[in-house]
Amino acid sequence: MTTVLQLFWSFLQIGFTSFGGLSMIPLINSEMVGHGWMTSTEVSDIVAIAEMTPGPLGLNCATFAGIRVAGILGALAANLGMLTPTFTVCAAAAVFFERFKKSRVMGDIMTAVRPVCIGLIWAVIIDLCLTNYTAGGSVQWAGVLIGLGGAYLLLRRQWSVPRVICLAAALGMIFCKAG
Amino acid sequence: MREKLRSALSLYLYFFKIGWFTFGGGWSIVAQMQTDFVEREKRIDGQELLDIVSVGRSLPGTMIGNVAYLFGYHMCGVAGGVLAVLGIITPPLVILSIVTVFYRAFRDSALVARALVGVRAVVAPVILSAVWKLMKAGTALPKIAFAGLMVLGCAMSYIFKVSSVLVVLCGVAAGGVYWLLQRRKGESGK
Repeated sequence: MTTVLQLFWSFLQIGFTSFGGLSMIPLINSEMVGHGWMTSTEVSDIVAIAEMTPGPLGLNCATFAGIRVAGILGALAANLGMLTPTFTVCAAAAVFFERFKKSRVMGDIMTAVRPVCIGLIWAVIIDLCLTNYTAGGSVQWAGVLIGLGGAYLLLRRQWSVPRVICLAAALGMIFCKAG
Repeated sequence: MREKLRSALSLYLYFFKIGWFTFGGGWSIVAQMQTDFVEREKRIDGQELLDIVSVGRSLPGTMIGNVAYLFGYHMCGVAGGVLAVLGIITPPLVILSIVTVFYRAFRDSALVARALVGVRAVVAPVILSAVWKLMKAGTALPKIAFAGLMVLGCAMSYIFKVSSVLVVLCGVAAGGVYWLLQRRKGESGK
């Protein structure tokens, strides 16, 4: 039981100090290795797997570490810890946001925040393009072609996201090199 | 009450359905919400989706959890928020549980690795399709100011590696300036 609580507490700390992405890896690493739950190699393996499988990195690490250390119960506790910021800080922000979003000040502020947020998403796209279309310094043409095909299907043929992702997985199995 | 419970449950089911395709750090969720809620069902508009994403991204915790909560809360209160979050985390929980059990086989499988190379190749277009439509959501800003803020946000994050919280806060500051300008304009117009 204490292990389950420890898992919850560790991932609660990781949740509150992480603002998404890879910034949480050092803390995950020190918590996992410090408690003796994983070795450093396992942490880097799970980071690679968590990035490939659906779901955000933090939750995926929580599930992996939780099951390894204390079974399904551990996974649930770790996930709950990771989601505590959502159920506290974000829940409070939601109340505040719904109440004030019709106000002039809030409306004007969000008018300026929206383009900045779009800029943030562009940064993510650039980053993804650079990492996913190159390997070892050379362009991966199979990936580029799948990407272009995907963009065409999404934007011109109105294919749904799940359909495009499934097609890409199938094409990847046939044409891509494991990397 | 019954009605509310029903729509909260439908939120769980919806987020459960899209949760299987949470690739690219959760950004593909935003793309799916864009096509389903903004384009098809018109439950919210593009601006509202962007607001949810901005707020969700700048708060601590996982982005998709926050985004799901904010949308669920917007649709039907706390129950909606909680169920949306539970819906979106169920698929990753199931998948990772299976992966954990077959960890070695999964890590060493060439077929899985090749499929994932394919999936990663379409993550960028998926997000791109969403951002492309969101850019057309309309704005009260002059075009040049909109483009300027967008480039600024992108450069701060990509080139200068500023954390997204700070980037969004800069947007808030710019919004404060915009509000002051609007107010002054309003006063001189009287």
